[in-house]
Formats: sequence, structure tokens, C-alpha cells
Amino acid sequence: MTPIRIPVPGELTQETGRALHRSAREHALQKGGVLLVDLSNTRTMDARGGAWLLTIAEWAKARGGELAWEGASGQVAEFMELVEPGLKAALRKKPRRVGLLENLGDATIRATAEVREFLNLLVDAIYWTILAPFLGRGFRWGLLLDEMHEMGVRAVRINFMMNFLLGLTIAMLSAAQLRTFGLGIYVADLVMIGFARELAAVMTAVVVAARTGAAIAAELATMKVQEEIDALRGMGLNVPQFLVAPKLLALTLVMPCLVSLGMLSGIAGGMIWGVYVLDIRPDAWLNETLGAAKLKDIFQGLFKGFFFAIVIVLIGCHNGLRVEGGSRGVGLMTTRAVVQDIFLIIVVDMMFALLFYYVVD
Amino acid sequence: MSVDAKNLAGPIIRVENLVTHYGDTPILKGVSFCVDPGEIFVIIGGSGCGKTTLLKHMTGLLSPTSGKIVHDGTDITLLDEDELTRVQRNIGIAFQSGGLFNSMTVGDNVALPLREYGKVGEDLIPSLVRFKLNLVGLGAAEHLMPDELSGGMKKRAGLARAIALDPPVIYFDEPSAGLDPIMASGLDDLILNLRRLLGITFIIVTHELDSIRKISDRILMLDQGSAIFLGTLAEAESSDAPRVRQFFERRADEFIAQRGMVPGGHEEEEGAE
Ligand SMILES: Nc1ncnc2c1ncn2[C@@H]1O[C@H](COP(=O)(O)OP(=O)(O)O)[C@@H](O)[C@H]1O
Ligand SMILES: [Mg+2]
Repeated sequence: MTPIRIPVPGELTQETGRALHRSAREHALQKGGVLLVDLSNTRTMDARGGAWLLTIAEWAKARGGELAWEGASGQVAEFMELVEPGLKAALRKKPRRVGLLENLGDATIRATAEVREFLNLLVDAIYWTILAPFLGRGFRWGLLLDEMHEMGVRAVRINFMMNFLLGLTIAMLSAAQLRTFGLGIYVADLVMIGFARELAAVMTAVVVAARTGAAIAAELATMKVQEEIDALRGMGLNVPQFLVAPKLLALTLVMPCLVSLGMLSGIAGGMIWGVYVLDIRPDAWLNETLGAAKLKDIFQGLFKGFFFAIVIVLIGCHNGLRVEGGSRGVGLMTTRAVVQDIFLIIVVDMMFALLFYYVVD
Repeated sequence: MSVDAKNLAGPIIRVENLVTHYGDTPILKGVSFCVDPGEIFVIIGGSGCGKTTLLKHMTGLLSPTSGKIVHDGTDITLLDEDELTRVQRNIGIAFQSGGLFNSMTVGDNVALPLREYGKVGEDLIPSLVRFKLNLVGLGAAEHLMPDELSGGMKKRAGLARAIALDPPVIYFDEPSAGLDPIMASGLDDLILNLRRLLGITFIIVTHELDSIRKISDRILMLDQGSAIFLGTLAEAESSDAPRVRQFFERRADEFIAQRGMVPGGHEEEEGAE
């Protein structure tokens, strides 16, 4: 089979390359045929001209033929040496697409592996937080104070604001109903019970998930991406001990305080509405509030807060340590951590509601 | 093209009395030099002496305390954001650790500048990307994500992206650090080829003696924020200046412990980059 010869003009650039490509494609190249590019008149070429040769070669390969060249000299010959590996390379395949079933199967395997990883982390974290310090196996006490400051003290303002506004809102909503019956004073009971048992814990947990949960996931993910986690392991340091335990202890200590603060803020918000809008005397409102809840109700809220803290730290660490890829992975895992936090907070909350409904009350 | 570029009168980049600080710490204390078109200009100096800082100022990523940086007749320290961006499109920068976008494949990383402002038809982009990747020996990595590459591969992918637009000037921060000797020597050949075929001017920070001997036209040596040597390789190797001699003879630094304590000197802090 005689090769199909195409002459290349004096300069091979973006424009002449495009024309060359067009004229090459007019030939009926057969399987096993050769497209011979004649460079003997070509004096200069540039990167874009070279790239057009690659496009032409790709076309030739797709039809089962190949591209060859002759007559290159001077600068063009040197340039062709640089282009050559690309021209000789096999036809490039697009990466393989994964089918639906394969995807489903993968997802199941991944989910199981993830749950197992999470349980491992849970066990390790509990060991290194509760048992290890007593066994004298080391705990980073210095870090604990820093973490408590970051997670607790610095969250006071936002946590106060959120609960206060929620208290105000709840009072507004319920007053609209109750005052029509002249029962405005019972708004105090409602706010008190609501915040003690439920609202302060959940609202605080959401605030903490958004602040601390996201921060933990982003910090650990960045450490993983920058090989800091590998470095820790390489030094024989234990990740749960070194990174997870101080955070876990810090948040479980701080969370009940934040929830208490949330209760006070919510009640204050409700009271503002009661005193200034419903025109109820402050002492009457306070009396009603104090009489409304038992210690048991407040304890319920604090108890839930404690569990929310565990969820937030462990989900944050778990997702952070699972990061893959670089900066984008960090963003994805941080988002994932916050979404899972909020979902699990609601689920855990519901389970406690069931528990209290059937068992305790 | 290389021939034309060399005939251009005058330097392509002129740095005059450049003074820079990070906060209150002086890093460069009045550095001046010129780079000629088509030249491979190598910047050397101990770790932490301000080489990366110098590159970042020359490329307009940081702005100096005082001094001039003149590209083709315009002082880039006086330009506003838009004008600076226009100058930056005409230079390629390959960062110390690649600087690849992690969310895109290697191929898309290289295609990004072409798509954004390359004036290249969409039909040519795939081949052009493949061509550039082949140049740096990464033809097979087109569809990989950056985190699937080794350190050296990232560096080469970063170079492929830097040359995507065929810029007349390329800045390259420690190209051969972290590469095996064969790869490093291949990269040197590539730099020489690009200079010869495309007339590209290179400004390169490197520590590798072999590489300096192979590619450098002129060498600038920094020490404690000042330029202590500027000249050709031959001049550097016959220099009497103790620091320069020490560098080329690879003698260990007996003052290394004192370095951080020299007034105005500063300790190593690679993590800051
Ligand atoms: N972003 C930064 N902020 C403060 N100091 C920095 C920063 N980047 C670098 N430095 C300091 O400036 C000095 C020069 O750094 P650099 O230019 O990166 O050195 P090298 O010559 O190794 O590239 C070092 O002492 C480093 O600690
Ligand atoms: Mg550097």
C-alpha cells in the first residue's frame, strides 16, 4: 500500500496546522495505511503546530492507520524529536466508566468498611480518653485547656445569641395561641420545659457542630493531606491518643456548660417577650418558670448534650481522617462531617425522646 | 524565534534595589540585577535566604517594600491589579510543590490557562495538552488526579502547565529538588530544549550543582538578603568569595549554628511556604 503523502507548508503554526488537519481528513485512510507528512519544505514550527500533528496522528490511529513523517531538518527536526513520543504513543482511551450495579456493590462494601472504621475509632477514642490517663499512658493535658478555650469560651457569644433568639421566637409563637385564652403566663412554663429538655441541647449542638465539628474535620483532613498524620504514625505516635482524645475530653467537658448557658439564654429570651409584650410582672414570670421544670428535665438536656459532644467530635475526626485527594477532599469531608453531625444529632435526640417517654417518665 | 529574541536590545527583566519584608523581618535588603532575553538565569543560595521570596516578587505575587521590578520596560510594582494580570499572562510560573489544582485531572490543569485565555480553538486543546504533557514525560498521566502523582511528577505537571501558553519567560522554583538523577537530568535537557527551540527565558532557583553546571548562563547568589555574586558559571567557580567557594565545593557550613543569630538573619521555616 502506498502511503498517502501530505505536504506541510513553510511554517507549521496554529493556522496552517488546522488547514493541514482539514486536508488530511479528506483522504480515505485505510486500515494499516500510512499517512506520510512531508516536512521537507517546513522551516519553522511551534508548539501549536506540533499539537495539530498529534491531532492528525490520533485521527489516523482511530482509523487503524498510522502517521509517519520525513524530510524534517534543522529546528523542525529537533522539534519533531520532542513531538515523537506523543505521535508514537498508542491511541488514548478514555477512562473506563463504572456501571450502576458495580457502583451499588462498591457503595455497600464502602459503607461496611466505613462503619467498621468508625467503631474502631470509637473504641480507641474511649480507651485513650477515659482509661489511658488512669493507666498512666499519657494524655496531652496542655492541649486540653487550649481546646476547651477554643471550643467553649469562644462559642459563648454565638451560642447565647442563637438560644436567646430561639427563646424569643418560641415565646412569640406560643403566646399568639395562649393569650387568646388569657393564659399568657403559661408561655413561661412552655419555654422552660422546652429549653430544659430539648431546645437548648439541640440548638447548642447545631452551633457546636457548625463551629467545632467543621473545624475538627478540616484540621484533621488538612493534616492528612499534608502527610502530618503519616508523620505522627511514623514517629510511633498514636493518632487517637494524640489528636482525638484531647478534643473528645474537651468537648464533653465544655458541652454541658454550653447547654446550661443555652437554657439560661433561651429562658431569658422568652422572659423578655413575656415581660415587655405580654405585660406579665417579672417576679410572677420567674416564679412560674422555676415551678415549671423539675431537676430531672434539666438533667435530660445536659445528658443529651454530653452525647451530642461525643457524636460531634467523633464524626469530625472520622471524616477528617478519611479524606482523599487534596484541597477539594478537605472541603468535601468538612461538609460531610457537618451534614452527618446534624443528622445524627436529630437521630440521637429522637432516641432519647423514646427512652425518656417509655422508660424514665 | 530564539534568534529574534536574542537580538532584542536590553534586558527582559530588571530588578533594582529590591527591599522586602515579611512583617518587620527584612528578607531582601537591596538586590539589583538584570535578566537578558533567552538566558537561563539561575538563583542560588542557602535554604531560607529568600530565593522563593525573590521569585514571588518578580512575578508580582508579592509587592516589595521598595525598589523596582521592570518587565519589558514596565515597572510591575506600579501596576494595578488588571495591568498586573496582563503581565502575568505572559510569564509561566512553576511552583516548588507543583501548585496543581487538586480538584482537576492533570490534563485539565494544563488545559485551564489555554481555555481561560489561550486564544486556542477548543478543537486543538486536547492535543496541545497531550503535547505539553509529553514534553515533560507525563503523557500517560493525563487522566490522573494530582494526588495520584509522586512529588517529582507533580513538579513536571506544574511545568507543563507553566509552558501551556508558550510564555516568553518561565520562573521555576527548585525544579530538580526531589527528582531522581535521571529525571532531573531529563528536566535539564527539557529546559535547554525549550530555550533553544522556543527562545524561552528561564529564571530558575536551584540547589543542584550538576544542574547548575549543565544549564546556567548566569548565576545570582543570595546570602542573608543580599546579592553576593552575579556572573557566569566559570566566574563563580573561580570566585574568591568564601560563600561562593563554599557552595561550589559543597563544604559543610561551619557557621550553620550561628546563621539564625546573625542580626537580620532568620531561621529556616520551610513550612511557611
Ligand atoms: N509567608 C511568610 N511569612 C513570614 N516569613 C516568611 C514567609 N515565607 C517565607 N518566610 C521567611 O522568609 C525567609 C525566606 O524564605 P524563602 O524565600 O522561602 O527562602 P528560600 O530561599 O528557601 O526559598 C525564610 O526565613 C522564611 O522563614
Ligand atoms: Mg524556596
